[in-house]
Amino acid sequence: MRKLSLLISLLVLASLLLAACGGAPATQAPAEPAAAEPEPAEPEPAEAEPTATAVPEAPEAEEQEVTLKVLVHQNPPMVEFMETFNEQFQAKNPNITVDMSVVNANDLSTVTQTRLNANDVDVVDIFGFANAAQPYMQNVVPPNWQTLIDAGLLMDLSDQPFVENYDAPTIQDAGTYNDKVYAINLGRVSYSGIYYNKDLFAEYGVEVPTTWSELVAACETFAAADAPCMTAGGKDGWPIFVGAYGLIGSIYPDQAALVEGLWTGDIKWNDATSLEMWEKMKVYAQEMMEAGASGIAGDAAPGRFASGAVAMFSGGTWYASAIEAAEPDFEWGYIPFPGSDNPEDNQYLFGKYDQGWAIAANTPNKDAAMAYLAEFSDPANYQAFVNAVGFIPTQPGATLDTQIGEEVAPYLENFRVGYEQYWVAPKGAGQYANPYASYFQPFGTFDDPQELADKVQEDLQSGLDANQ
Amino acid sequence: MANYHFGRGRARWAPYILLLPGFFFYLLIMFGPSLATSVFSFTDATGIRGAPVNWVGLDNYKEFLFLGQASRDNYGALFRTLIFCVGVTTIQFTLGLIVALVVNQKLRGVNFFRTLYFMPVILGAVIQGLIWSLFLYPLGGPMAQLLGMVGLRSEFLGGPPAEAFAWVMAVQIWANMGITMMIFIAGLQTIPGELYEAARIDGAGSWRTFQNVTWPLLTPAVNTNLVLNIIGSLQAWQLFLVLIGYRNGTQVLGYLIFAQAFGQTSGSVTSAFRQGYGAAASIVLFFLVLVIGMSVQFFLQRREGRVLG
Repeated sequence: MRKLSLLISLLVLASLLLAACGGAPATQAPAEPAAAEPEPAEPEPAEAEPTATAVPEAPEAEEQEVTLKVLVHQNPPMVEFMETFNEQFQAKNPNITVDMSVVNANDLSTVTQTRLNANDVDVVDIFGFANAAQPYMQNVVPPNWQTLIDAGLLMDLSDQPFVENYDAPTIQDAGTYNDKVYAINLGRVSYSGIYYNKDLFAEYGVEVPTTWSELVAACETFAAADAPCMTAGGKDGWPIFVGAYGLIGSIYPDQAALVEGLWTGDIKWNDATSLEMWEKMKVYAQEMMEAGASGIAGDAAPGRFASGAVAMFSGGTWYASAIEAAEPDFEWGYIPFPGSDNPEDNQYLFGKYDQGWAIAANTPNKDAAMAYLAEFSDPANYQAFVNAVGFIPTQPGATLDTQIGEEVAPYLENFRVGYEQYWVAPKGAGQYANPYASYFQPFGTFDDPQELADKVQEDLQSGLDANQ
Repeated sequence: MANYHFGRGRARWAPYILLLPGFFFYLLIMFGPSLATSVFSFTDATGIRGAPVNWVGLDNYKEFLFLGQASRDNYGALFRTLIFCVGVTTIQFTLGLIVALVVNQKLRGVNFFRTLYFMPVILGAVIQGLIWSLFLYPLGGPMAQLLGMVGLRSEFLGGPPAEAFAWVMAVQIWANMGITMMIFIAGLQTIPGELYEAARIDGAGSWRTFQNVTWPLLTPAVNTNLVLNIIGSLQAWQLFLVLIGYRNGTQVLGYLIFAQAFGQTSGSVTSAFRQGYGAAASIVLFFLVLVIGMSVQFFLQRREGRVLG
């Protein structure tokens, strides 16, 4: 009996070890090429479709099967464009299969890091380089993109011909680090404007507001008619406070100087100028924003606005395509957030460099990845991308031939990189050390602007003092 | 020793050999990463392969516990974690016991209700979060319509932090009450029917029967449930991520660790990864769980010894 027990024990142990060590079946056949050669796709003449061009094919195309792994963040019009572009790229390069993964924007940096670490991605979507430590900042943590480059995980693209397709200031500001180019940036976006519903404005006889008082009066008119004044995708958190960034801009037009002033103590979040901003933010959060906005997901907000139920939508230019897709006949316009009672202060658009492309330094598919970016950067394809996504172009020859392009055209000379791209918090700063309208009820706990202003400055000062 | 199944001599090694694979995987999957976390907590590691990792001594702990308002916010998260733990444990334990007592009756259709109450357990945090996000949708969701009937409205998960926090607590209880119930049902089914019969013959009512028969004999299930509920709620973070994201006034320690380690604190896509700092926060959470878990375990074992002899 004892021997039998021992035998059974050893058999169980052996089977466990074998199970643990087992891998893929040894007889697994290598991937076979497709039986039929795919037909090269005809270039579509449609405006938002990528076009076939004379970009050289990848050398691997003649040699071996390649699966090119591409990572992008969720942005429905962009993803839709990329799917079409990928099909056409594959048709031109039949032995390259593009495996594109889409992740939520909030998860992009985490997934990028994980997949770069695992050598599991070739081309990554990377936002324009921002939040770099400035000389007046002490004891701050470098931004994620800088760490990726310092760790040698992104490829140097400096000598690639397609880099020349983009304007030099963009390459310098949004893709260069230590004099080397690591990313090509695909477009700028403004996040400080308001979409307005032309039909509702006409129905209630409301003029497009150019000052803060006019904006308040407009909302009062809509409220009196039981029409929600403004919406935002508050479920994602950031759309509520990003929607009010134009308000900050109308009060502090030079946002680089604002950030430096906050660090040096020349500007305080509870001084008289800032207090005006907080008072207006309270009105924005409590009187302008529609009840229930906190439940609307970021990518559902354009649909909510396009349904015609709401008079205005404080959001970035990247939403324009989604609004048009949701309701093509919907009449809308886009204006800078009128945060000041002086119309001259409301002529600025604030924003950031948005999506870009970078290549994993350790990719085994370097040539295919380069061919992919070269194909994408071809002026015709880039123009189609801009038309589809609505970015303010970063290639000199491209134009934003869409409605949002026409809407922002008068303000493009006044386009400025916004606060969020400059700000780096000192270590030790509290959780309220930001100019966020979402701190006010009903999204947050504060009701008194002075109390909130004092709290925000206290949280910031705590970090500044801790680093002395 | 007479009942020792594996006999004497070399055969006595059999149980140890059988334990080896499990022990190996424990070392590989649990103990190894835990040890690595404690080492990382003394570094400025970012988690990015190839990035330099520097030894920073106790700097991460000093920053987490003492640097500026941020450290006081960390204590806020710590306090919130304890509130969450007490609230979830108390309510989940009580509800689980009541439901177990009800569905342990010999009634028609009782299996259906057991399945129904247990069902949320098999859903992942993402599905649980999606269900409740829809249920609590403030623009015409079911709960908003219910409130609307009595003239009230709420932003629910997007509202004031205390309210959002309370909703996450409710979802945590809903999601895990089924496990508590099942453990109690298992405990109830080990109690011999003769004891209830004897109590009834002695004239004990329902409450006296529960007090003197059911409750003492449920002690092992009570202990198991309490320890599982306490540890589970102290470590909770997924539902916070899925339901409300990183919002001031709602973070618990588990979510704070994730957010710090993976650059989720500011909403900015360029946020830095601070896995060394996150590891230090993990060690603080580990000691919190250890102290509370061991204290509870100590008192529960003493009680078990006293009750069951």
